[in-house]
Amino acid sequence: MTTGGAWDAIVVGGGHNGLVTAAYLARAGLGTLVLERRDLVGGTAETGEIAPGFRGPIAAHTVGRLRPSIVRDLRLREQGLSLLAPDVRVFAPQPDGTAITLWADVARTADGLRGRSNDDSQGYPAFDRLVRSLGRFLAEIAATTPPDIRSPSLGDALTGLRLGRSFRGLGKHDARTALRVLPMAVADFVAEAFESDPLRALIASRGIQYTAMGPWSAGTTAVLLTDSAGNDGGAPGQTVFAKGGPGAVADALAASLRAFGGQIRTGTEVTAITSVNGRANGVVLAGGEEIGGRCVISGLDPKTTLTRLLDPVEVGPTLGWRANNYRSHGSTAKVNLALSALPRFTAAGDEGRQLLRGRIVIATGIDDLERAFDDSKYGRMSAQPYIEATIPSLIDPLLTAQAPAGSHVMSAVVQWTPYRLREYEWDDCRDTLGDLVVRRLEEFAPGIGGLVVGRQVLTPLDLEREYGLAGGHPFHGEPSLDQFFLWRPLLGHARHRMPLERLYLCGSGAHPGGGITGQPGQNAAREILSDWKKRRP
Amino acid sequence: MTQRYDAVVIGGGHNGLISAAYLARAGLRTLVLERRHVLGGAAVTEEIVPGFRFSVASYVVSLLRPEIIRELDLPRHGLDILPLDGTFTPLPEGGGPWGSGHARGGAHDGDYLWRVNDHGRTIRELRRWSKVDAEAYDEYGRLMVEMARFIKPILGIVPPDPTGRDPREFLPLAGLLRTFQSLPEMQQAVFVQLMTMSAADFLDQWFETDPLKATMSASGIIGTFQGVRSPGTAYVLLHHYMGEIDGAFRAWGIPKGGTGSVSMAIASAAQAAGAEIRTEAPVARIVVRNGRATGVALESGEEIEAATVLSSVDARRTFLGLLEPGTLDPAFEDEVRRFKFRGSSGKVNLAVDRLPDFTCLPGDGEHLRGAISFSPSVEYMERAYDDAKYGRFSTRPYIDMIIPTLVDPSMAPPGKHVISCFIQYAPYHLDPALGTWDDQREAFGDAVVDTIAERAPNIREVIVGRQVLTPLDLERTLGLTEGNIFQGELSLEQLFFNRPVPGYARFRSPVRDLWLCGSATHPGGGIMGANGRLAALEVLRSQRRRAA
Repeated sequence: MTTGGAWDAIVVGGGHNGLVTAAYLARAGLGTLVLERRDLVGGTAETGEIAPGFRGPIAAHTVGRLRPSIVRDLRLREQGLSLLAPDVRVFAPQPDGTAITLWADVARTADGLRGRSNDDSQGYPAFDRLVRSLGRFLAEIAATTPPDIRSPSLGDALTGLRLGRSFRGLGKHDARTALRVLPMAVADFVAEAFESDPLRALIASRGIQYTAMGPWSAGTTAVLLTDSAGNDGGAPGQTVFAKGGPGAVADALAASLRAFGGQIRTGTEVTAITSVNGRANGVVLAGGEEIGGRCVISGLDPKTTLTRLLDPVEVGPTLGWRANNYRSHGSTAKVNLALSALPRFTAAGDEGRQLLRGRIVIATGIDDLERAFDDSKYGRMSAQPYIEATIPSLIDPLLTAQAPAGSHVMSAVVQWTPYRLREYEWDDCRDTLGDLVVRRLEEFAPGIGGLVVGRQVLTPLDLEREYGLAGGHPFHGEPSLDQFFLWRPLLGHARHRMPLERLYLCGSGAHPGGGITGQPGQNAAREILSDWKKRRP
Repeated sequence: MTQRYDAVVIGGGHNGLISAAYLARAGLRTLVLERRHVLGGAAVTEEIVPGFRFSVASYVVSLLRPEIIRELDLPRHGLDILPLDGTFTPLPEGGGPWGSGHARGGAHDGDYLWRVNDHGRTIRELRRWSKVDAEAYDEYGRLMVEMARFIKPILGIVPPDPTGRDPREFLPLAGLLRTFQSLPEMQQAVFVQLMTMSAADFLDQWFETDPLKATMSASGIIGTFQGVRSPGTAYVLLHHYMGEIDGAFRAWGIPKGGTGSVSMAIASAAQAAGAEIRTEAPVARIVVRNGRATGVALESGEEIEAATVLSSVDARRTFLGLLEPGTLDPAFEDEVRRFKFRGSSGKVNLAVDRLPDFTCLPGDGEHLRGAISFSPSVEYMERAYDDAKYGRFSTRPYIDMIIPTLVDPSMAPPGKHVISCFIQYAPYHLDPALGTWDDQREAFGDAVVDTIAERAPNIREVIVGRQVLTPLDLERTLGLTEGNIFQGELSLEQLFFNRPVPGYARFRSPVRDLWLCGSATHPGGGIMGANGRLAALEVLRSQRRRAA
């Protein structure tokens, strides 16, 4: 597939977005090579051993945001991807021993809320409808390459018209609501719909998850709505597992890529992107080997791409300054537990097997979340952290097939854990964090500590080291208003094109941002192919 | 007895008066109705302690639009703005309870940061803190002036309705977009940052000196329920630079005779143009007949007919307080209820018989003649905000202190002074455990005096009179709902085409011939006057259109 010793396309980084881009390019007939530093592809979509015999999600744990069009186009089901969606979306235990349960079925959820608040129960379906309506509009934006504002083309004008039509399609009320709520703090957004504080917190938590912001930070509503874009999320958000863990998504993508003729080299670190006359023409590997390519696509985060892989002279002082100020300090950690038995959550009673199959969210109130966030502002990990845990072995028992009978794995996303601690180093307090999380879980599932037979703690520093995420940010950069749409990652570079000709960005740092969506990868592939066709005589 | 006017303006604050002046100049028979015995709303001078006159609430003029000063010929009507020179940030000895961001006993313990209008001196002072910052300061300043030049026209735009289909509404924005396209990369990028980032994050990109960042970022949180690290606060940093491009009139200063004299000058201009002004004439309701505003009814029972009614009071009071229930669509009323106020600031006015003596720079020097900012570190500012988030006033608040008598001695008896302290944060909604603001007023005043005393220990001895204004007091005396000094939170979702209600940002209301002209409208609060002027011009334009 290569001519003259050069590949048509070299993708740096085999995270899920890199694989998506590569598969689309290979499908279009380009000779495509993916270079991955680690020994396996998938990036944070990884299934691994938490303890001997216990397999589970190492980093990301749900995959419900993966674009259906990608599953279809790349024939991921044929490549073995199987998605599992439990009836229960969220189980949120409270300190008083009660719980709020959000189901896939809106009416069932509303019914369950009646005991807590009649108004909230009645208002829930309308809120769900609003989130879906705005989410649909955002999904369209997410699938659109932001226009070139410096010199808009006819295509940009048509895109503008199309988005304008969809915007008006929302109807006057929802359209005005969209513009009003997007820059809003998620705490305000949920307060407009619900009176119950635990319900507010539980729904608002999607606006802060994976970010370094608190529920009172402006722009967190946009995060929540983005999380509902292009999937069946609605008010509770998506809860979808890949059979075999998130690594199964990576495996299916890799198989698809290979089926289209693309190749993957793992254990291969790229140290530089080379160029001639302002045009990217290949990469240099850690061993010194050079590989030529007609275009180079970076699946790494924008900061690493611009400040470490490129020649500073090519980037220039202004863009260099901007790239250095790109905000990518993460505040999320991961704690994975191998458990000898299913933990008993007080609020679940005897129904644990059913209720714990979704996401277990520990967010007891808006102020509780905000206080947990406050700690991180001053360089401390939250004393009472926010946790989103899953027990994927409940719905996917094969994960613990090699472990003693009755065993389970629990995967916990933990916030806030700032990348920079003020008084300690992360290397010295990994166990402190692990203990803290188990202790927090004990408040709702007494005895869980005694079930832990293996534990894995990934601090933001570990996320940086292991997955190459600059600043340890799971989204390659903060999903804040200043790094959004037209200016994600940076104004003037939101169209996946980087400062060098034929150099592209396809990862979560690009529009529309992070999460296991494949959307930036799909968008990037579309732009690369459009350029590719123009270059053909 | 009923009287008939072309236009009646509810509320004699600076915006109401400006609207009235413009309408009267255009030949409309105009009447202003003010509830209180004094004009000016929050821009008012009153003698609270015998012999001592205070700018009770609003205390500096920052952005009064130069075109208003010019068109209404305000200097001829007595407006005289005295420049405030510099910003002095004293740091407490020993770092204070929450530190200055520097370790106790650190190099800058008990130090100060003093920026003045003399550029060379400021750079020398900054160099004492950080050579890098001294260099960046110039570059930053130039960039901000460029940005202010670009952004200034937004203050004069009537926001379009994004869901509307009238292309004419979008013309001003299209012009702005063209200008934006021609800006260099750096300016484009920084514009986006200014509109979306937090003030502290924005400044982190240039500076390392903590008191510098804290003091500069403070302008981003004034009057809002946000912290210096809250996204959306960076934009206000520009306001300081707007003044530099406004030219002849110094836009940053204190009016001779207090802020009330700004109001008096505008009132005088309005009267000279033929407007009538009545004080102690509280409006009870707006009269609506057949879907049109036809006048107002006063609390006294008197009815006044008018072809057009302009309300300079806030949206909640106008739509939910002054209209008969049932006049408006309930969905619109819900939108009005959603509009957030959440006052976050208080005011402490002190009458003193001697000047405060700062430990870090003793004596009555020049440093007292400008703004004195209690903002030792970004963390200090952020912790002050944390208190407010959970319903407490800041134990160690941000204070913006001005001693107006140093530039305008007429405000106090000879040798004595008045000190104006703007305080943040003081949340309108207190944690119920603290009781009400009536229970906490003096404790709040004490926290302010304690904070000052950490830097100027003689403050307790020199005070001869003290006025503490909580958000509740601002609401009661000035009619500012929930004590918000800008008639509604200046958060991103309440600006431009969303202010005060999406779809009604063009000064019009769902009731025909009822208009808004106060700070509740674009471009928000402060003694800027743009709202009052734009509203009046829109009223006049619509009348011309109707006549044509």
